[in-house]
Amino acid sequence: MEGRIAPYWNRYVETLPRERLLAVELERFRQMLSYAKEHSVFCRDRYSHIEPEDVRTMTDVRSLPLIDKEDLRRAQDEKEPFPFGDMLGVAPDEVSVFRQTSGTTGKPVYVPESWESWQWRVEVWCHILWMAGFREQDRVFIPFGYNVYVAFWEGHFAAEKLGCMVVPGGALDTKGRINKIREVKATALLNTPTYGLHLAEEAAKMGLRASDLGIKRMVCAGEPLPHATRERLEDVWGAEVYDHIGGTEPCAWAAMCGERRGLHIMEPFFLVEFLDMDTLSREVEEGELGVAVVTPLGRRSFPLIRFNTKDVVRKGKDGCACGRTSMMIEAVAGRADDLRKIRGVLFTPVSVEELLRAEFPSITEYEIIVRKKGVMDQISLRIEPSEEMGEPVMKEMMTRLSERLKIKTNLTFLIEPVSPGGLPRYTLKSKRFKDRREEEGGEC
Amino acid sequence: MAPEDRLILLEIKDRIDGIERLALELKDLGKGVPAIQKNARSILGVTHALRFGISDIVEIECAQGRGE
Repeated sequence: MEGRIAPYWNRYVETLPRERLLAVELERFRQMLSYAKEHSVFCRDRYSHIEPEDVRTMTDVRSLPLIDKEDLRRAQDEKEPFPFGDMLGVAPDEVSVFRQTSGTTGKPVYVPESWESWQWRVEVWCHILWMAGFREQDRVFIPFGYNVYVAFWEGHFAAEKLGCMVVPGGALDTKGRINKIREVKATALLNTPTYGLHLAEEAAKMGLRASDLGIKRMVCAGEPLPHATRERLEDVWGAEVYDHIGGTEPCAWAAMCGERRGLHIMEPFFLVEFLDMDTLSREVEEGELGVAVVTPLGRRSFPLIRFNTKDVVRKGKDGCACGRTSMMIEAVAGRADDLRKIRGVLFTPVSVEELLRAEFPSITEYEIIVRKKGVMDQISLRIEPSEEMGEPVMKEMMTRLSERLKIKTNLTFLIEPVSPGGLPRYTLKSKRFKDRREEEGGEC
Repeated sequence: MAPEDRLILLEIKDRIDGIERLALELKDLGKGVPAIQKNARSILGVTHALRFGISDIVEIECAQGRGE
């Protein structure tokens, strides 16, 4: 819980009145813009007509062009200094670590960190873990080989900096990881939501209850975490489960506090805007969906000004019972990349995840596939129950699921049951949504 | 911000600036000695994080305080 001795990682920053937070951020924004123009070829060209000193208000900020992932790919694209190209903001010999994006939406983006920038990222993660109640007494198990992907490295280094005992769990199978959790008496996990559920499922096969493994808190990364999935994880693990949002390019920029009602923007590390999805020019109101545009304010090795994350979030109300004064996100709705028009209806896969986790606990795994049948889109949902079900029970569940999906998404799904164990399991990013309309073409 | 907090923050900022200055001097003095240069660089990475959460706030608070 919040009150594990010191509630804040940095009470000076976290309780600063909003107008002063914004003043700090605007000052930092000017400094970062000035630095970026001087040190990154991409930023020098992109912002040649802008004087940092002229950026005094949020309206001025919004007049600057956005950067998106495609811009980053073009700025790198085999250019020198390889592999970071025009995006690099420090001398090449200052780069101390290489990271990259997962490449889910195309060619991966390569992200350089200098020692200084890495310390800045770790500091952001210290805030995140501290808000989630991680303390010196915790034994933190991270059940992954982290490879070149950043989130678990950040969590690892931040947990070390907090003084926790970190146990890296790569190069083990799931059973081995469950045994390791027991062996070291782990108290905390850094996890993807999918793998958190999978670990619990595997523990059950070993005759163990996840809630008996001693895990008290868990921070999830790598995938959207709808409210229902978070509750399911809390239920099976008997632990507090915390969400955060971020990415390889900008770092993690919002996270949950002990109240676990929405996410706090990690101010003043980032200047964050929520823009309307149609024009990307208007700041949305509280309760409205918007696309998050993020400027990391202290990371010089990879300067980003107004990076369009394509994360769609519902803007929250200012103020939280925890006393922090940062802006809030009410919920993460998904990725603009995942928003699809299917038969003219705007669809996000998170809505299916939410429904299944909240109302159909006997479905452990699923997959959504969209295809073209003639001129029509067809959306199917493959569902895998936790154990074999008799035909009448399965039929009844499919009818109920079909009705609930129709109400929730306004789409009619073709539902296909799959035998237990028949669908793939994921450790890092899950790929449960497959839009095959373009690759397959129309079938008559 | 309470006046006593502001005073403590000023003291802290002063120390952060001092550590940074000393680390830069150390890095300079240790030219050609990786053990000194690289460790000084590590210190500077940490002061960057400290400046972010502390020194900036003091500067803004002082500016606001002067304006009030």
